[in-house]
Amino acid sequence: MSDDDPPSDAARPADRASADVDPLLRLENLRAGYGETRVLDGVDMTVPRGEIVALVGRNGVGKTTTLRSIMGEVRPTDGRVTYAGEDVTTLGPVETVRRGIGFVPEERRVFPGLTVEENLTVGSYGGGDAANRRSIEDVFDAFENLDRRRDSRGTDLSGGEQQMLAVGRALVAGADLLLLDEPTEGLAPLIVERVADIVREANADGVTVLLVEQNVAAALDLADRVYVLDGGRIVYEGTPEELRADESVMDRYLGVGV
Amino acid sequence: MAAAGALFDQVLNGLTIGMVYVLLAAGLSIVFGVMDVINFAHGEFFALGAYFALSVAIATGPGGFWVALLVAPLLVAVVGAGVERFTVRPLYGRNPLYHILLTFGLVLVIKDVVELVWGPQPYQFAKPPVLRGTVEILGYGYSVYSYFVVGVGLLIAVGTWLALTRTKYGLIIRAGSMDRGMVRNLGIDVDRYYTLVFAFGALLAAVGGVVIAGRQSVSPGMGDSVIIPAFIIVVLGGLGSFRGAVVGGLAVGVVQTLVRSYVPVLEGLVVFLLMIVVLLVRPQGLFGNPEWAGADEGGDLLTVSGGGVFDSTLRRRAGAALVAAFAVVPLLVGLPSYYVNTLAVSIFVWALFALSLDLVMGYAGLVSLGHVLFYGVGAYATVLVVVNLVPSLWVALAVAIAVCTAVAWVVGHLSIRVSGVYFSMITLAFAELFHSAVYKFGWTGGSDGIFGGFDPTYGLVGGPAVRSIELVGDVELFYYVALAAAVGGYLLARRLIRAPFGSVLQAIRESEDRTAFVGYDVTAYKRRAFVVSGGLAGLAGGLSATLTGGVAPEFLAWILSGEVIVMTILGGMGTLYGPMLGAGVYLVVKDVLLSLTNAGSPLLVALGEFWQGALGLLFVAFVIFVPEGLVSLPETVASRIDRRSGGGETIAEDAEVSD
Amino acid sequence: MSTDDERTTDASTTNSTATDSTTDASTADSTTDASTTNSTTDVPTADSGTPDGRPDLGGDPVLRTEGLTRRFGELVAVDDVDLAVDRGEFRSVIGPNGAGKTTLFNLISGALSPSEGRVVLDGEDVTALSPHERVRRGIGRSFQITNVFGGLSVEENVRIAARSTVETDLSAWERYLRSTDAFDEVNERAAATLERVGLADRAEERAGALSYGDRRRLELGLVLATDPQVVLLDEPTAGMSREVTQSTIDLIDEVLADRTLLLIEHDIDLVMRVSDRITVLDRGSELVTGTPDAVAADPEVRKAYLGGVADE
Repeated sequence: MSDDDPPSDAARPADRASADVDPLLRLENLRAGYGETRVLDGVDMTVPRGEIVALVGRNGVGKTTTLRSIMGEVRPTDGRVTYAGEDVTTLGPVETVRRGIGFVPEERRVFPGLTVEENLTVGSYGGGDAANRRSIEDVFDAFENLDRRRDSRGTDLSGGEQQMLAVGRALVAGADLLLLDEPTEGLAPLIVERVADIVREANADGVTVLLVEQNVAAALDLADRVYVLDGGRIVYEGTPEELRADESVMDRYLGVGV
Repeated sequence: MAAAGALFDQVLNGLTIGMVYVLLAAGLSIVFGVMDVINFAHGEFFALGAYFALSVAIATGPGGFWVALLVAPLLVAVVGAGVERFTVRPLYGRNPLYHILLTFGLVLVIKDVVELVWGPQPYQFAKPPVLRGTVEILGYGYSVYSYFVVGVGLLIAVGTWLALTRTKYGLIIRAGSMDRGMVRNLGIDVDRYYTLVFAFGALLAAVGGVVIAGRQSVSPGMGDSVIIPAFIIVVLGGLGSFRGAVVGGLAVGVVQTLVRSYVPVLEGLVVFLLMIVVLLVRPQGLFGNPEWAGADEGGDLLTVSGGGVFDSTLRRRAGAALVAAFAVVPLLVGLPSYYVNTLAVSIFVWALFALSLDLVMGYAGLVSLGHVLFYGVGAYATVLVVVNLVPSLWVALAVAIAVCTAVAWVVGHLSIRVSGVYFSMITLAFAELFHSAVYKFGWTGGSDGIFGGFDPTYGLVGGPAVRSIELVGDVELFYYVALAAAVGGYLLARRLIRAPFGSVLQAIRESEDRTAFVGYDVTAYKRRAFVVSGGLAGLAGGLSATLTGGVAPEFLAWILSGEVIVMTILGGMGTLYGPMLGAGVYLVVKDVLLSLTNAGSPLLVALGEFWQGALGLLFVAFVIFVPEGLVSLPETVASRIDRRSGGGETIAEDAEVSD
Repeated sequence: MSTDDERTTDASTTNSTATDSTTDASTADSTTDASTTNSTTDVPTADSGTPDGRPDLGGDPVLRTEGLTRRFGELVAVDDVDLAVDRGEFRSVIGPNGAGKTTLFNLISGALSPSEGRVVLDGEDVTALSPHERVRRGIGRSFQITNVFGGLSVEENVRIAARSTVETDLSAWERYLRSTDAFDEVNERAAATLERVGLADRAEERAGALSYGDRRRLELGLVLATDPQVVLLDEPTAGMSREVTQSTIDLIDEVLADRTLLLIEHDIDLVMRVSDRITVLDRGSELVTGTPDAVAADPEVRKAYLGGVADE
């Protein structure tokens, strides 16, 4: 069980994949924290253009902080974030979004008092990448649930609908890279499937996705590539198949190796 | 028929006032919703609107009213934009309390600027002929101007509503009031909109000021008189809710007017009662949505924790030396009676008052905006006992303390259930309730208060009058009574803070949740702190009434709550001696400024006349640059000097840490 | 002598005296244990973790929940949960994110009131009591985010917690006017607690200036000082790397050895060694409760954790 050797560096399929891809987003030695608490302790990872990449790990190991550092909500103390070849490490959220990074935060943060349509309209005023901006009608076409509930307020939506709205809002703002924080949290299995479809559809349309998940099963189902985060560092990189086969990692870092 | 006509007349009057309230409250509410800023200076924007209109109308001659109606609000909007950019902006991210303090300072400044420019006298603003006279409906004459005010208000309210719901800016502002961070995450620079929102709020208030100018006189106090009702409306309707501001404004206008004609006893009280009831039943207000409170970006109160300046032994010695000096110097040095018997005594009294506020604000984290309630009630209780019961100062002060602790217990019971900004507002409402109430009764002396027949003695039932005993060199014995009260109050507070009670209070300030989960009844402790504080404030009020030789409704004016908060912050809350020091500095500076009016140089005279504004400016600077108060000044200066000499080292150290 | 042997002694002492005089037991324990506290990080060994160090689970439930349910709108966060935690037991509650673990804790500690059901401590229904009243009756809790009184000294932090146990016995004079230094019994207990969590030499420091790890220790000290029968620990290892996590769990196991523990964890594997029994929650309901081995072998658990993957 947990007494197995940690995966040695040689066993990591890390650089093999990274060499021949077109990296849309690259994190190098990223360090960040809150006040006196250090959360990220040198994160290195690459998100290739066109892929769905999942970042998994135990509660509180720094997954959300990684996304917030990319967005510029948390200012990294060290390291670099490169997006489409440009150093975006010190940019705030507004500037980051303008470069084409869309963010769907934890708990969705749909504007509670605005209707579905108004939520999307605010998104359409967003400063994302104009070239990759969906229209509100595109979103309604893709999510018929939302279409039916155009005039409902954000608070009146179910969890799944809120998730659709949050994703739709980011797409309307214009995103080449979508950061999703725990998109399946608190959703029933059927809805989890639906959310997975949405992510796949967006990906098929050319949107690169980086998602953070605690639901390892869902993450492995979706992703082309998986990173495991522990103690503020990347401890594993591989394909979902490789990770599933690697019981020691599943055990040690994800706590699912029963 | 006649009754119905009269009723309609009253309702129209109510709607007229109500519309002005709507204009005020809408801006106040939007500004709070988007930026979490509670703007006490909003009433001054209202006043500025009226004054600018006055000048514009005079300058443009005939038809000036219409020009003024357009130009004055725009000018005020520009002032509002400047205020946001240069004073409000540096404070984003701090606890909302600091905005209250800042804008309170701005009230003092703007009010004095107005007086400096336009003078203290009231003006009448000529309405254009079209708007004079009455229209007759069903045999009753109604004022055209009332219809005009209602019409303008309606137009602007609808326009604002359309702007909020139908325009890009409005939608972004609404989204921002629900979740600022998320708006940023969509790539929208919401911070850029703050200036716009603030300026727009000022503009709405200014329109209110212009239209009211046609109905009543324009005077420097007009901002003061509307700001409290405007707050009540915002809280009633729900902080940040436009709908709430409209419904609340109209309702308060109508209710106020109807009550004035049909239940005059309750005039001035009903609005506060209404607010207290609504807050207790539905703390988020009528249209407020607790879930929209959004991500809390507010910071902590900046208290001076730990030792502050110097070590404790040195501080104790300095304190003892100061007290000794206060005790001995007046006897040895022949100071003018005013300095000893009036200025020094008021410093002691206010030091005690500031100390009492610090117990709840600096230690228990309860920002009471209505602390003048206890000061005023203590003053009234003291005077009433001496006049009606026994002439003894001791009995009177004891009763004052007892009554104030009882009032504090009740008010604390009701208000500590709501938290944060709502607590501040409900305490303000209670204070205003009492303030309005003392006007109503014969036994409180109505608006004149009670002067004369007030001559407390040192004995229990008789003996020499308090202010008549003079020691060496004109020093009244009362000077020592006040000194003893201040020193005694301090020693008592220090005891309390070092006992388990104070320890728990500090724990509550640090983390309420954690305190409850180590086994303390947080609410009960806050209430106890409130009661102790009420008692001390009551003692201060009693002494103050004795100093003044009587009491009047001004003892309960909200501006005094503001002043005592200023002193507390100025000195440094969270230390017991800081606020007392703050009281001293505040009163001495005020005295120096006032004395300038007798100076030879016209410039100094002008400065003396501008004393309130000067104090306000000083205070604004303190809130922005030295929020931890005077007691933190040596440390701040020291660290500045430190940084200048060893700047490179600090950076190197940082880099090392992050490795 | 190994730590485990000592723990056996402590635990059995508590077991026999817990009902009438937990205070005495804990004071005695803290002194006994003081010698072993400073060596926490390297205590565990691979085979020391069998739950044998704890008393037999003889069906003496000190904490029970009956049909505990909490709804938020349409969401049923906790759904008809019946727990029975025995005196002296180390129980872990695990489950995927959103399984209702934290809500369950909030219901037991009183931070939330249930939509239905009861919480029973030592035979007494405490469902209607407020958090501080439950603490007085012996339910302590630690926080997910380290939550200490940062502006006060480390010593005063623990003293405040220790004093709450005698607060109702204090006269007005003692409560309002007596210096906190003068409460000898309480302060001795606080000192012993600091000794036990390994912070004795930091007593004078400002709590906010402690390192993250030391704040964790102080957090445990705050819980311990209230002399709880049952301690609720809400993800005490959140944000820690795997290695630090293990040592923290071991610290808890050691410092709170004589208490009944209810620990929320995300990670089954971590709690396997230290727990007597494990309860698995899934979407608000109790999936299974049993010994670590039984839980590990349970196909339902595997499925809850791995979802579709487990079907393979």
